[in-house]
This record gives sequence, structure tokens and C-alpha cells, in this order.
Amino acid sequence: MRPVAADSRDSARASGRRALSFLADLSQSLAVSLDLKTTLGPALTRTMDFMHAEGASLFLLDPATKLLECKVCAGPVDIVGLKLEVGQGVVGRAVAENAPQRSDDARRDARVNTRVDAETGFLTRAILCVPLATAQGPIGALEIINRRDGGAFDADDAEILRLVAAPMALAINNARLALEVAEQQRIRREMGLARSIQKSLLPKRRRGKFPLIGVNLPAHEISGDFYDYFDLADGRLAFFVGDISGKGLDAAFLMVRVASLLRWSGKAAPAPAAWLREVNTELCETLQNGRFVCAVVGIYDRRTHKVVIANAGFPPGLLDHGGRFEELPADGPPLGIIKEAEYGERTLDLGGAALYLFSDGATDVREGARARLGADGLCELIRRYAALAPEPRLRALISELKRRRLVDDTTLLLLQEPRGSEVRELLALRFPADPREMRRVRAELRTALDVEDVAPELRDRLVLVVDEACTNVMRHAYCGGETGTIALRVTRERDMLGFELRDEAPCVDPARIKPRDLSECRAGGLGVAFIDATMDFWHIEGLPGGRGNRLVMRKRVAAQVQNDRESD
Amino acid sequence: MNGNECISETLGDYVLVRLSGEVDLSWSQQVRRAILDALGDTGKVGVELSQVSYIDSSGIAALVEGFQNARSRGSRFALVAISDAVRAVLELARLDRVFLIVADPAAVSGS
Repeated sequence: MRPVAADSRDSARASGRRALSFLADLSQSLAVSLDLKTTLGPALTRTMDFMHAEGASLFLLDPATKLLECKVCAGPVDIVGLKLEVGQGVVGRAVAENAPQRSDDARRDARVNTRVDAETGFLTRAILCVPLATAQGPIGALEIINRRDGGAFDADDAEILRLVAAPMALAINNARLALEVAEQQRIRREMGLARSIQKSLLPKRRRGKFPLIGVNLPAHEISGDFYDYFDLADGRLAFFVGDISGKGLDAAFLMVRVASLLRWSGKAAPAPAAWLREVNTELCETLQNGRFVCAVVGIYDRRTHKVVIANAGFPPGLLDHGGRFEELPADGPPLGIIKEAEYGERTLDLGGAALYLFSDGATDVREGARARLGADGLCELIRRYAALAPEPRLRALISELKRRRLVDDTTLLLLQEPRGSEVRELLALRFPADPREMRRVRAELRTALDVEDVAPELRDRLVLVVDEACTNVMRHAYCGGETGTIALRVTRERDMLGFELRDEAPCVDPARIKPRDLSECRAGGLGVAFIDATMDFWHIEGLPGGRGNRLVMRKRVAAQVQNDRESD
Repeated sequence: MNGNECISETLGDYVLVRLSGEVDLSWSQQVRRAILDALGDTGKVGVELSQVSYIDSSGIAALVEGFQNARSRGSRFALVAISDAVRAVLELARLDRVFLIVADPAAVSGS
């Protein structure tokens, strides 16, 4: 005969084993499924049966409304959809306090919400409720009602229910995260689709000697900027570029409409001012809630090299006459605001000049914590790459803009008559970074400049400046016993002399290379001041990889008069 | 022979440092030394530059240092018979009004 004490210990152990195997099964069934609708119902019923309860329900907290809603229930009364405020009733209190609640005599318990009983005739005697706890706080509660034997729930029951709630909370949380991820993926996929549709609306780059190239850089997946160009029946070239006010999906949709409208209207080849007027009238009738459109339209005649443009509130275009920039301000207000608006137009002789049209995204890029790039900064960048052909130049500009922080959609349109390469190399030298080399370098440079008929005074200045640039490399870049070479290349394109100096020294910090004030009398730092005072443009940059520097300097010289001697 | 020369000679109460050739970084330290040595020897120094066909900023720096050194000692320091090449660089550096510039070595001695 076994003693009674051992008997009850055995039965306690048996019920413990039963609880463990129930919890293990429940956890597993919850863990393998992400579909809560099919998992939670049976899990709740099994919990109700295991706890010998008459009913069970699961409430989830809606983060938006802050209301608890019954999502699943088991037992005689269906309360799915019942909503409670946090803090209200036993369930609301479990969530508010993030702690189990037990009511042994529900009829006399002020915490208990009696509304459901009153409506259904069900008699609630005992309640046990635990929160569905997560690291981010409770996301709901699990409740069981009435022990089938008529008694109250005890502390062991509360402990087991808490253990049941843990995998449920985890499963619900996981399912929610999975849903969010899936939703994000769906949105990303659709944005990608919208982006590729938008891209397909931009004109295809034309091969060969075509004078127009454009680039559109969306700040996000989709863009409110647009540009297009097309041939007119008479052989002229029509183009436009624009920017929809605002960002995001609605701006992108509007962009599609406005771009089609501009194209359709432009096909009839009206004068640019009339073109804008027509589109403006249409947009004023249809645009809503304060939207407007900034745009430039233009027509270019390749035979006469004349371009006519009209600007509706778009940033001023820039006409680059070889380093001298002409600003072309707006000829009227943005489209879609004033129905009676009149637009001016201007005729430009493109010749060898380059016309840049850019949305304000191009000048709004940020440089670190510094202010926006601005039109001056953009001119500076254009000057830096002026020696490049239009296509690589536009690429260089775009990579410069990308290197900064784009805060808005950015579009650049460049109109320039392509030309054969007219860059001639006047001198290419590579020599050791040793001051004793400079006498020979100066002599060769002097000769090369003489061949180009550079006036003696300017020639000597240029020789001095190149010498200073080289010795600066020797003294400051190749410092601390470093040795290496310097490569000097002198070129001429029309009336522009170009000087390029490359070294293999560690990259210098361009910010530290500034011309000193010449009005103070001191011995050092004159070299950069000479460069600055002589050259029309100079720029130094470190080469990628932390080694090597490149100094570019440009100086305009009087155009060569070639027939001079023959006519003499 | 590259024509670069730096010769100091004592003429009466002053020292004349005669430079010729192209004054650049390859030997401007030598020029600087010669000027500072001359200032150590006497209270009146002239630097003769008529035969200088080129001067860079390191050469100019040597002249500026001589000028500053002389001023701190209360000595007399003059550039003598500067060539057009030297004048152009002095003007570029806005130093043409800083130095005492005389045409004749005898003027170094002072009136």
C-alpha cells in the first residue's frame, strides 16, 4: 500500500506532465503557422478544454483605435467583435496593468462588465484573464470563464494560463510582422513598377550627333519631374522639361498627365509662348487643391542654331558661353494658377554655347551640413567639367549631384550642338618631383605657349603659375621624404588653355588650399594666390583610393587670328 | 652651366648680393642664406636683380625675409636694378610698394 501523500504527489506529477505536454503541443501548433485565423480558434478551444472552463476568448489591441476587440472565442456565447476600452472590465484591466486578473465571484466583482451577461443570459461566475505580453508591452488578453465544476480558478490555473498566453502572444506578433513585411514588399514592388512606367515615358537617348540630352534622378522611387523632346514636321526639335509641385504618388500621376498634354500641344508646333498658354488654360481648368506645374518649353532649329524658349515659373535656365553664364529667368507664372497668364519667350543664338535647364532639385542638393548648392554652385560644377563633351559632362554633373544629398527630384536637360573634338594637346610631360626639373619644364612650357602666340606677359604669368603649382606639389604633397612624379598636360580648345597636373602623392585636403590675402606682407603661401589671381578657373581634387591629386586650371586667351600672316 | 649665380661683395659701407639666372625652389634657400648672412655682416644690404630672368614665390619669400630681418635690426635693405621679370612678380604679389627699390647700387648706401 502506498501512503496517501505519495499518491497525491504522483497525481500532481501526472497533472504537471499533462500540462507540459499540452503547452508543448500548443506552442508547436502556434509556431508552425503564420495563418492565425486557422490556428488561434482550435488553440483557444483546446485551452478552454484543458482548463476545464466553460468559455474562452482572445482580445487584441488595435494600435490605431486603442480599443480591445475580441478576435476569437470558444464556448456557448459568441462575443467576437466585442470592443472594450483599455482599463475597462477584467480584460481591459489585464491589459492596462499588464498583469493577470482573477475574479472568483464575478457577480459581486465591480471590475466585471455585466453587459454581455445581461444581453445573452449567460451567467458569469468566475473569470481568469492574463495579458498577451510582448517586449513592446501587452498586445491583448486571454480570458477563460467559469470552471466547469463550478469552483473558482486558482493560482495554478493562473500560472498555466500565463504559460499558454506566452506562445500565443509570440505567434500573433510574428504573424503581424510577417504581414507588415509582405505589405512593404508589395508596396515596394508596385513603386518599382510605377518607376519603370515613368522611366518608359522619358524619351530614349538618341545616338549620333543629337544636340539634346536629359537626365532624371528621382529623390525617391517615383518622380514629379519630367522632360521630353520630339521632332516637328518641319525638322525643328521641340522639347520641354517640368516639375510638378509636391512629391509622391499624386505628383507622379499628375506628371504623366502634364507630360502628355505638353507633348500633344507641342506637336502642332505653336510658338513656345502660345504653347505654354494653351497648356496653362487646360491645366487651370483641371488642376486641383493648389497643385501647379513649372516648365520650360522650347523649339530648336538646327539649321540656324536658334532656340526659342518660354519659361513658366521654372528655375532660370543657364546659357554657358564658354564659362560666362547668362541667366534666363522665367517668362511667366507656373502653369495651372492664373488662367489669363501671358508668357513671354526669348530667342537665343545657341552657336557654340550650351543651354542648361534644370529643376530646382539640382540646386537644392545639400553638401553635408552645408547649405544648398545653389545656382552659383551649379555654375561652378559646370565650369569644372566644361572641357568634357556634353554626354560625359552631364554624367559628371549627375555624379557630383549624387555625391551630395538629393532632397528633391532632379532633372537636367542640356542643349548643345555636338562638335568634333577640338581639344589639342600642346604639351605632355612627366617628370620627377624635384625642384631641379623645373627649369626644363618652364622652358618647354614657354616654348609651347609661344607656339600658340600667347602674349609674352601672359605667357610668363602662366609659366610662373604652373611652376608654383608644381613646387607646391613637391613641397606639400610629396612631403616627408616621399618621392614620385608629376604629370603636366597642357591643352587648348578654341580660346581656352587647359592645364592639368597629376601627382601620386597622398590626397591633400582641397579645403585647406586657399589663396592667401595678397595685401599682407609675408613670405609663405604666395603660390596659390598667384594661381588664383591668374587663372579663370582652378580646382583641385584627390583621386579615388586616397593617392594622387589632380589640379585643373583654365585660362582664356585671345582667339588666334589665323589669317593674319597670310594676308600680310 | 645654368647661369644661376649668387655673389656677395662688399662695396664701401654696404654689401651687394648679386643674383643672376632663374631664382627658383631648387636654390632659393641658398639665396635666402646669402641675404641673411649679408644682413648679419653689415647694416646696409642691396640685392641686385638686373640679371634675374625668372623668380618664383620661394625667391620672393627670400627677399621678404631679408626685408623683415633688416627692419627688425633697423638695417637698410634695398632691391637694386630689378629686371622686368622680377618687377612683374613683385607687382603680382603686391610687394612692389613694400620694398625700397633703387636703380643704382650706390643708392644702397643712402643719401
